[in-house]
Amino acid sequence: MRIDVSDLTKTYKGGARALDGLSLVVPTGMYGLLGANGAGKTTFMRILAGLLKPTSGRVVIGGHDLATAEGRLAVRRTLGYLPQDLGVYPDLSARRFLDYIALLKGLHSRSARRRRIAELLEVVALSDVADRRLKGFSGGMLRRVGIAQALLADPRLLIVDEPTTGLDPEERIRFRTLLSQLAGDRTVLLSTHIVDDVAQTCRSLAVLGHGRLAFQGTVSELVSQAHRQVWTVTTSGPAPAAGRVVSALPEGAGMRYRVVSAAPPDPYARPVEPTLEDGYLALMDGRAP
Amino acid sequence: MIASLRYEFAMQLRRPSLWIVYGLVVAVMVTVLDYWSLDLGVYEVSAPKEAMGVAAQIVVTLLPIVYGCMLADRLPRERVLRVDGILDATPSGRTARLIGKYAGVCAATAVPLAIAYFGRALLYVFVEGQPSALGWAAVTFLASILPGLVFVGALAFAGPLLLPPMVFRVLFVAYWFWGNVIPASLMPTLSHTVFSATGEYVRYGLLTPIPPGYGRASAVLDFLRPGYTPATAWLWIGVMIALAAAVLSLVRLHASRSES
Amino acid sequence: MKPVDLWRHEARRAGLPALLGPPVLAALILLLAAFGTRLGSREENTRWMLMGALEMGVPLLSGMVAATLPGRDPVAELRLAIPRGYRPALLRRLAVALGCTGACAVAVCAALMASGWWTFAYGGAAGQLVWLAPALWLAALGFFAAAALRSTAAAASLVAFVWTGEQIVGGALADNPAYRLLHLFATTSWGSDGWPVNRLFLMSTAVLLAVAGWLLLGNAERVLRGEPE
Repeated sequence: MRIDVSDLTKTYKGGARALDGLSLVVPTGMYGLLGANGAGKTTFMRILAGLLKPTSGRVVIGGHDLATAEGRLAVRRTLGYLPQDLGVYPDLSARRFLDYIALLKGLHSRSARRRRIAELLEVVALSDVADRRLKGFSGGMLRRVGIAQALLADPRLLIVDEPTTGLDPEERIRFRTLLSQLAGDRTVLLSTHIVDDVAQTCRSLAVLGHGRLAFQGTVSELVSQAHRQVWTVTTSGPAPAAGRVVSALPEGAGMRYRVVSAAPPDPYARPVEPTLEDGYLALMDGRAP
Repeated sequence: MIASLRYEFAMQLRRPSLWIVYGLVVAVMVTVLDYWSLDLGVYEVSAPKEAMGVAAQIVVTLLPIVYGCMLADRLPRERVLRVDGILDATPSGRTARLIGKYAGVCAATAVPLAIAYFGRALLYVFVEGQPSALGWAAVTFLASILPGLVFVGALAFAGPLLLPPMVFRVLFVAYWFWGNVIPASLMPTLSHTVFSATGEYVRYGLLTPIPPGYGRASAVLDFLRPGYTPATAWLWIGVMIALAAAVLSLVRLHASRSES
Repeated sequence: MKPVDLWRHEARRAGLPALLGPPVLAALILLLAAFGTRLGSREENTRWMLMGALEMGVPLLSGMVAATLPGRDPVAELRLAIPRGYRPALLRRLAVALGCTGACAVAVCAALMASGWWTFAYGGAAGQLVWLAPALWLAALGFFAAAALRSTAAAASLVAFVWTGEQIVGGALADNPAYRLLHLFATTSWGSDGWPVNRLFLMSTAVLLAVAGWLLLGNAERVLRGEPE
């Protein structure tokens, strides 16, 4: 399911501009949306989910224009949405919560609903705790309940907003593996500020900065943004002044710094292969005013 | 405690709905009730002391309902916003924070009420040319309105901790009507007793003469309705403060039990 | 037709207080009818209190329920992204809660009519308007205020103020023809004079308030923004 976004702008009451002329094409498959906090990702996700109306611009999802009520309804019918702040009813068990959401999504046959919920609880590895109240669930378990509810109606488009924030490493890995497996012939739009999540799951991605499209392409193209711009410097003195320090590790009596910089930050700096994180930082630094 | 008071005061005061609701209610009071004329047919309103007493009577009959309902969601707010953990980790004591929160929320919620009352006093000064009305307004507010607000504030502050919020709101409105508004002759009620929060013991015991014909037919619970004298006025102030302290102690006790 | 399971879920979401309040009120009214005079209340006084409890108590419950239910819902964003997941679901919750209130009120009316306490000029089905018209009006006000102000506390305050204010000014404004149309408690304040028109006017304005509230809740951006804390 292809998403075509052209010249999308969203200005909130009070004048804050969250999106500013965003144009983007999202193909079928897993697609990453990277950006710092406040870059406009959540606003974009909410527009795609039909929750917010854009100030101007056009969004067409699978041939349905979101500017029309029919278009929004058609998209919502094919949508699975996991919001950034997933709220739940803490007094319900995971099974009952999914049952309620399934009913809202139109799964009226009790037996089909039960079957689907059991299947999804299995997929997200929550079958053992399905009858426990949600108020006792960890953040990771709640996120998995969130993904299960998003999949209830077998959506063609899955929008997940910051799904791994606050999860422990094991949960994060499990979660993004699950998302990758789900992609298949679906469009899965993963919005995150955690570069590693995109690096491990997506071939293509877009980067948002201050509501504008900063980059669109493949992961390797973003990595190449930092080509010949990543260095390691080992020193017992102060951190290199030039460029951006990505990491600092104690080494012997000194420190080993990893630096993203157009020019060598130190006469003894050694070039190293860039990662996606380096590419992202090089891109954002290059765009900084 | 001071930090908590200032924070809660600012947070409550910046709620647009607080001002919208008070604005609507005062607009109704001015257009439908006698808040414009202050003529309830009991006093000569050209006397500033009496006029400010009538204004207090109108204000205190209706606005405490808004006051109570608007502050009833403030105590559970920390839990709803999930900041209770952070606040518990601060060095300030729970009792100090509770008192600061109570005082800040009550003070902020009373600001529009005070503006409505003193605004009427100012208007009276301009129309009647009697500046002493402002002094009488201040005395009447402090002595006959404020103690009632101290108690009602504690009640509304604590209620949602002990009851589901919706149940509390229904009971609070029913309490206000039953305990403060309806005539004592209709049914057994706290109206016109020293437990009523409307401040008539101070108005008629300390400030203005009892209105002509303001007698009471005998009613159940009359033993709680001593005559209007300066002594009963001070008794009423004491009762209001003691009730507020008792309710806040209950809240603290409840918090201690949920801590352990 | 939505499955029973969905209604069961919505009943649970409406909450126990919304569902238990009406039977408790009904029980109190019936207890008053049974023991009021034995407790020393004069018959006329008891009759007035019974009608008052119906005409005032039921609307207060309805108004508070309607002011509370559109409030903070942790799952609002998720429901907004589901076709017909937000407003219709809210309406179902209201229908369950108000339906429960209505069923209890009908039962109380029937009991009062059967036991001879009901001496009001209009009885039977028309007599149900004693509680129905003010209940619908206060519920519509609560619903509209909650949608417009995005605050349960503010909506509840308005319902509480109108409820109390109407009781206080009912006598003073008895001669005002415009107010006679809008007075919520005409049965207990003024009796049957102009009563049918008053009831019809209340119900038609209630529909307007409810429609306005419905339209406001259709703006997902407003719902998501919530009330400034």
